[in-house]
Amino acid sequence: MTAIRAEKLTKQYRRGVLAVDGLDLAVPEGQIFAFLGENGSGKTTTVRMLTTLLRPTSGRAWVAGYDVLERPGDVRRAAGVALQEVGLDDLQTGRELLELQARLFGLSRSEARRRAAELLAVVGLDAHADRRLGTYSGGMRRRLDLAAALVHHPHVLFLDEPTTGLDPRSREHVWEYIRTINRQEGVTVFLTTQYLEEADRLADEVAIIHQGRIVAQGTPEALKSSIGADVLAVEFDGDPALSGRALEALAALPQAAEPRIADGQLYLYVREGARLVPRVVLELEEAGLRPRAITVARPTLDDVFLRITGHHLAASQPAAAPDGAGGATPAGQGAHR
Amino acid sequence: MNTLRATWLLTLRALREIVRQPVNEVGNLVIPLFFFAVTVGAVGRVAERAFGLENFVGFQMPVAVLNASASGTAGLAITQDVMSGYFEKLLLTPAPRFAVVFARVMADGIKAAVLAAVIGGIGLLVGSGFAAGPLGFLLLVAMAGAFGFAFSAFGVAFGLRTGSPQAAQLSFLLFFPLLFLAPAFAPKEIFAPWLRFAATINPVTYVLEGMRSLVLDGWAWAALGRAFAAIGGIGAFTLSLTVWALRSRA
Repeated sequence: MTAIRAEKLTKQYRRGVLAVDGLDLAVPEGQIFAFLGENGSGKTTTVRMLTTLLRPTSGRAWVAGYDVLERPGDVRRAAGVALQEVGLDDLQTGRELLELQARLFGLSRSEARRRAAELLAVVGLDAHADRRLGTYSGGMRRRLDLAAALVHHPHVLFLDEPTTGLDPRSREHVWEYIRTINRQEGVTVFLTTQYLEEADRLADEVAIIHQGRIVAQGTPEALKSSIGADVLAVEFDGDPALSGRALEALAALPQAAEPRIADGQLYLYVREGARLVPRVVLELEEAGLRPRAITVARPTLDDVFLRITGHHLAASQPAAAPDGAGGATPAGQGAHR
Repeated sequence: MNTLRATWLLTLRALREIVRQPVNEVGNLVIPLFFFAVTVGAVGRVAERAFGLENFVGFQMPVAVLNASASGTAGLAITQDVMSGYFEKLLLTPAPRFAVVFARVMADGIKAAVLAAVIGGIGLLVGSGFAAGPLGFLLLVAMAGAFGFAFSAFGVAFGLRTGSPQAAQLSFLLFFPLLFLAPAFAPKEIFAPWLRFAATINPVTYVLEGMRSLVLDGWAWAALGRAFAAIGGIGAFTLSLTVWALRSRA
């Protein structure tokens, strides 16, 4: 059975910004599905439409079989949601927040107490249960928010960038928890992320969203295999234009299909990359270019993302300029940074 | 989820917040009492002679009650919930959306009733008297609660519509012109014609006169009827505004 389905789901904001553009989606029950994309690619808007917080401009969507427009109450009962901004009330204690959440989902007082205690133990916050949330660290707040999303045993769990801003240890903790609830309770997990590692390690299936459209979808392995080649990266010190010159110098390589330049590096997608390195070195020497490093690696999801969008996903992380400004461009379009 | 149950659960949460921030309520209690004391101390004797009043303390006590009743913070609390993201967390539950907002207004109404009881008690201690007796006192407390509830929804509507804490607090600023355009410090009969007209169309006038009748006159049913009608009118207007603001957001 399909846990989440969307047909031509579209959201256009009043200012004319097309955030989600005719999205089609089908997530089977019990799957961990990752929505991978940059900031502003439409991930959060999609989650908000699927969870009834935002009305689509057009298209339809169903969660646990319920139409998000026609049966929003049933969708809310079936879905647990942890949004990107951890929405907690600092004046309540962890226990109070979970108990209130449980009671709003229709649990009796005793059931709510039992469920809150159970979840506090599961997310490792039982020792802090009676402290006000204003005293919780970022990681603790994120874990409590996850617990709040699970208080009513949802069929589908939506997690919008669940580990953004967390330290590596807290991130591991959250990943482990997501795996556990997926395995033990069969909860379908729909998570958005801009972290490749998160998508790679957690997800059964990944969809890459770019400018409001799904541009690639499959298992992490299938996506990586779709490149069908090794990734040969040529890195230079100093002038980023050197990558463009290197591309010209290596244009004769028959294997160098659809190269990309990103962050001052040249990426070639080649078969048997290791065997090609001596020839690359030779061609660059003849062109008077001295690379700092040449590396050959198996493709990662970042390579998939780069090849499809022309951007490194890392270029759109919070520290970078908005809208990926300053990111790389597809070398095929002859652009240089 | 039943609307009444959801409203009650969320009202308890809002009340818990109020209790956990007692400092916020000190001002809501002290400022009306301060104006009460200063007004009575400064012009009490003159006012009694000039206006032909026998009990200016009793005349002023309902002003302090009304002042405290209008100090609701539901609008501010809602904007804080919106900014923290907790408002959306609540919208993601099956609780009716109106209950999420209505509960905050309910909490303000209960708070207004408690403040009214305290101010009324202090008024009794300093000689306001209470013509309608203990049942009348309870009615004054209920009336203050109802007015606090109705007026609080103004701030909620502003807060929901704008998302701004400053806008949410505009309701309290709006209250002062309404109070000064009511017979707060002198009987309406001595007002200049334009001010008397303003007082006549001002619903706060009738709430104040209804409360005052309980303190000074006993059970004046006509005044009480007008007071509850005025509160009903204010509530209908502010809650309609709130529903409209909620629809624009949720």
